[in-house]
Amino acid sequence: MKIAKYPFAVLSAALFTVMLITPISSVSNLIWLSSVDMPVNISSSLEVLLFDFQRLGIVLYGVVIIGFAIAFSVAGLISRFTDLGGKYLYAIAGSVAIGLAVFLMVELLFKTELLGGNRTILGKGLHWLAGFIGGYFYYWLISKEKNYTFIIRYLGILYSYVLLGAVLDWIFTPSNAASGFGFVLQELSNEGQNALIRDFTSFFFATCVFSLLGAITLNSAWFFSVAIIYFGAAIFNLIAIYVYGTGYNDIYISEILLAAWPAALGITLLLKNNE
Amino acid sequence: MLSLRRFINKEGAMKLYKSIFILIFSIFSYSSYQYETVLDDLDDAWSFVFLSEDKILYTEMSGKLKIASLLDKSITEITNIPDVQYVSQGGLSEVILDPNFNSNNKIYLSYSAKNTNNKSTLFLMSAELQDNSLVNKKIIFEAIAPRRTAVHLGAKMAFMKDGTLLLSSGDGFDHREKAQKLDNHFGKIVRINVDGSIPEDNPFVGKEGALEDIYSYGHRNMQGLVITSSGDIYEHEHGPRGGDEMNLIQPSLNYGWPAITYGIDYSGAVISPFTEKEGMEQPLLYWTPSIAPSDMIFYEKDFYPELTNSFLVTALVSKDVKKIIFNNNSYTQESLFGDLNSRLRNIQDSPSGLIYLLTDGPNGKLIKVLPK
Repeated sequence: MKIAKYPFAVLSAALFTVMLITPISSVSNLIWLSSVDMPVNISSSLEVLLFDFQRLGIVLYGVVIIGFAIAFSVAGLISRFTDLGGKYLYAIAGSVAIGLAVFLMVELLFKTELLGGNRTILGKGLHWLAGFIGGYFYYWLISKEKNYTFIIRYLGILYSYVLLGAVLDWIFTPSNAASGFGFVLQELSNEGQNALIRDFTSFFFATCVFSLLGAITLNSAWFFSVAIIYFGAAIFNLIAIYVYGTGYNDIYISEILLAAWPAALGITLLLKNNE
Repeated sequence: MLSLRRFINKEGAMKLYKSIFILIFSIFSYSSYQYETVLDDLDDAWSFVFLSEDKILYTEMSGKLKIASLLDKSITEITNIPDVQYVSQGGLSEVILDPNFNSNNKIYLSYSAKNTNNKSTLFLMSAELQDNSLVNKKIIFEAIAPRRTAVHLGAKMAFMKDGTLLLSSGDGFDHREKAQKLDNHFGKIVRINVDGSIPEDNPFVGKEGALEDIYSYGHRNMQGLVITSSGDIYEHEHGPRGGDEMNLIQPSLNYGWPAITYGIDYSGAVISPFTEKEGMEQPLLYWTPSIAPSDMIFYEKDFYPELTNSFLVTALVSKDVKKIIFNNNSYTQESLFGDLNSRLRNIQDSPSGLIYLLTDGPNGKLIKVLPK
């Protein structure tokens, strides 16, 4: 676990930093929308914040992981071979990683500011600050002894994060979400629309929350609940295809993967508890 | 054909013949048109215009203006072209002819170049075409839209029936919020006289804080601008990720970008959770996922009767031409020429009504569309 904690600490710190970064773009955008008299309220603000956290966050996550991996490796070498060390070294490394990443995204890749929140001096400063806090968090993670539960928690939270996209789609843009499942929402009756929205939203919301609860409580039952739901979806998908003749689709592969992930976490917890 | 019976049984042979017949039928029924490549190896050509049935004037983004004969394929390069900034999406963009070109030889060029502060912006130049050279060049418009990188310039032009000129000026990508303000040219359609002066009946003349050449605002990156014979102005613009739009343009109206949009940012971020607001115009139609509309004509001739009185919109991403017909509050849309499988940059109809398509990129082609 000693070696494994470093990469998982990078992954965890990156996810934490993404949670800090995405609101920068969201809030700057909401402030501008308010300034042009758009009806920004709690609902629309939540929609922007949560969608940005999920959609923009997943895109940024990969960038931040790479930046942190390099920055913290360098910081680790510096602390090993010099007297410099401690939390501020890693915090500065995190800050530099984020600052450089957003700078290079503009100068090397897009020649434009893809991150709306990075267009102002204040926004740039906040990105650097987010990296600083992320680096500090990384140091906090690696300075403590960790066991396998650290990895379980990270993977459980990551799973919930991935599912969050589907939850948000069904809550805020149910028409869009329904079209992904072959429904034209507007063509359904009111009862049909209601049933679709409540059941699908509940389905994804529950599995998202169950996984989060599993990560928090480390109770394998939560993970197995999610696994059962998605294994069930895969099984009944195949029944629909071969018994009811609904036509072949390969969604069952995704469903199996979505089931296998929490199942693996639950099994790991069970085995480790038995040990 | 008969020899196949030696190798397979009767039933298998019939199945094979049937399959071949279906395949052949499918190939020939796939498209109602055939295509002839008239010119190729065009280097990043962006727009073209007909000087006559067999001669075109076209631009290449690198800053070249050329005349091509569609008969003998000869190409003549025009000299004395303005310096352009050929980088990213910038360069020599559109060329159009003056309505009285036959008597005054005047043309208009839109292009991106550095301004006096070394920032990139959109320019509109008038010039006379004489002896394969541009003379009497005059910059009649410089967009107050300086940007670091030459992106989202718009750069489409069209003449109104009263002889004034419309020009689309894009939002500059990083400056999208300025499309909602009237003190700059980001995300605007401007209307000017051919000498660069401002028509007195422009909607924002006399309005404090507004540039008087602005005709409409709240746009993104408009690359289709058409005025029908009835005088209606239609425009289309690239959306971000989803939300490409087609709009009916009327003076002084706000078309909403980026306060309302049907797209999301390329990064996945929300640009606006709103798709409508009172005081902001809704598009006639929008495309999600994006098709990247690059040009448009309203076909009013009758060489292809099935296309008469329809909008034809070229698309870079969907690699086809959308045929759109509006009918009261609804529209029909059909995909054409998709079998070319090419990013289509420009579309024009010749004086006789033949449709020509320009493909995008470094090895561009000019393709003539003929009925089968």
